[in-house]
Amino acid sequence: MDISDILQDLNTRHLDRDPFAENGDDYGEDEQSGQADLQALTRAWVNERGAAELLPWPKDGLVERATNRIKQQIELVETMTGDMDPKTNFSLIIIQTEVERWKFLIRSYLRARIAKIDKHTLHYLSTPALMERLSKTEVAYATRYQQLLHGHYLSSFLGSFPANLQNLNDTAGGISMIGGPDEEAGVFVRGLGSREVGGEGSVAVRGRGRDGDGEIDVQRGEVVIARWSDVRDLVSKGEMELV
Amino acid sequence: MALPLQPGLTPMEVAFLCEMEMVTVIPRQRLESLNLLGGPTPALRPPHRAPIPLWLALLLKRQRRANILPPPWLLPSSLDSILKYETDISPQTFSPPPPHPYPISAQPAATDYTSPPFLPSSTADSPPDYLPYHWLELGEILLEACPDDIPDPDRVRTLLRDLREVRMAKMRASIKDLEGGGVSSLRGVGAMEVAEGRQFIVGVMDELRKLGLSREIARREREEDEGGGAGGEDEDEDMGFE
Repeated sequence: MDISDILQDLNTRHLDRDPFAENGDDYGEDEQSGQADLQALTRAWVNERGAAELLPWPKDGLVERATNRIKQQIELVETMTGDMDPKTNFSLIIIQTEVERWKFLIRSYLRARIAKIDKHTLHYLSTPALMERLSKTEVAYATRYQQLLHGHYLSSFLGSFPANLQNLNDTAGGISMIGGPDEEAGVFVRGLGSREVGGEGSVAVRGRGRDGDGEIDVQRGEVVIARWSDVRDLVSKGEMELV
Repeated sequence: MALPLQPGLTPMEVAFLCEMEMVTVIPRQRLESLNLLGGPTPALRPPHRAPIPLWLALLLKRQRRANILPPPWLLPSSLDSILKYETDISPQTFSPPPPHPYPISAQPAATDYTSPPFLPSSTADSPPDYLPYHWLELGEILLEACPDDIPDPDRVRTLLRDLREVRMAKMRASIKDLEGGGVSSLRGVGAMEVAEGRQFIVGVMDELRKLGLSREIARREREEDEGGGAGGEDEDEDMGFE
């Protein structure tokens, strides 16, 4: 069982209960999931901000869950605002500050993704495997954006070209017109620990280099510089994270 | 709408991350537990200490509702010995990061893969001899927000500056390791140092990679011809990077 299973588990338990009845004693379970979501969201944000290419959209509904939490908290703030007791007032400030922090995380995460989609739209729409990484709304956005862009190109200059030169995805001469992100770019990554049971917790990173390939064991918490393509699988497995 | 920023966290974003670190406060007023999104806060009862996230501690401090207990590593004596370690004992590499507070046991636990800022590395009972990942930001933020809670703040400020300089030189020297490629370790580096050095280091690395690409491909082909024998060690003579 890894962290995504745990999150999924907590999520289903969370949904089973009445969302408006959570101010009572049963908050204990929720605490874990709120904290876990915050950690997962923070990690997703830092990873997305660090990587040159688009990372897979979290499949466990992390963003939807976080957005729902924020929505509920804002409703709570609205009902509390009527109460003008100074003590509640201060609690309100704290709650609002925290909501703003969550909102910033989600906003920055989504905007970082949109920036990558804008940059290499055709690349991410080109194969089903790459399209898998986008959320439903992101696919809709990317498709619409590409349509607009193509329409604009056609009306401004592409339309006056000969028909056989109008393609935007030509691969003639062995070179594809569709540019992708630099998968060899250098990144800073931190070891989180091996997912193998019974291991010492260090992760073996094999890095390719000009004069030789090196392999080092990265301890938990150790930060290394490596090429993105060398650590991508470790990051997707959750054995490393970008910093 | 798209984010107009380069890959990698900016110093502002690193500071935002740092504000999620847990610190210990001594409340001066009662405050009931609040159901925050990231979990409930502990009920604050003066004079009992309580661990809360830094952003909340700063909010309480600004309203004079609490005092922040500086982490043990931020005391002048600890910084002094860390600085000694950085300059005398280990002049090439960074001082080691604090040991992971949740050792791996036979039972897999959710905390096995926790990383800063969610490790309690700056609470009042954190170890005094190690600089945590967010040391520089946390030190600066605390010096700014609550110099009255820190013993001898001027000395702490000087020591932080000294540490920063010593470590910046090490960060710069680490670029030499990047020349040949492969993976290079920056064990013990801090978040702000990464944010600061990233553009330069990644830029150097990417350019060197592009320059050496044909050589790398040639080496790979040669090694394949030799049947994957040990290569790479015998061609250092023309590196001359210094």
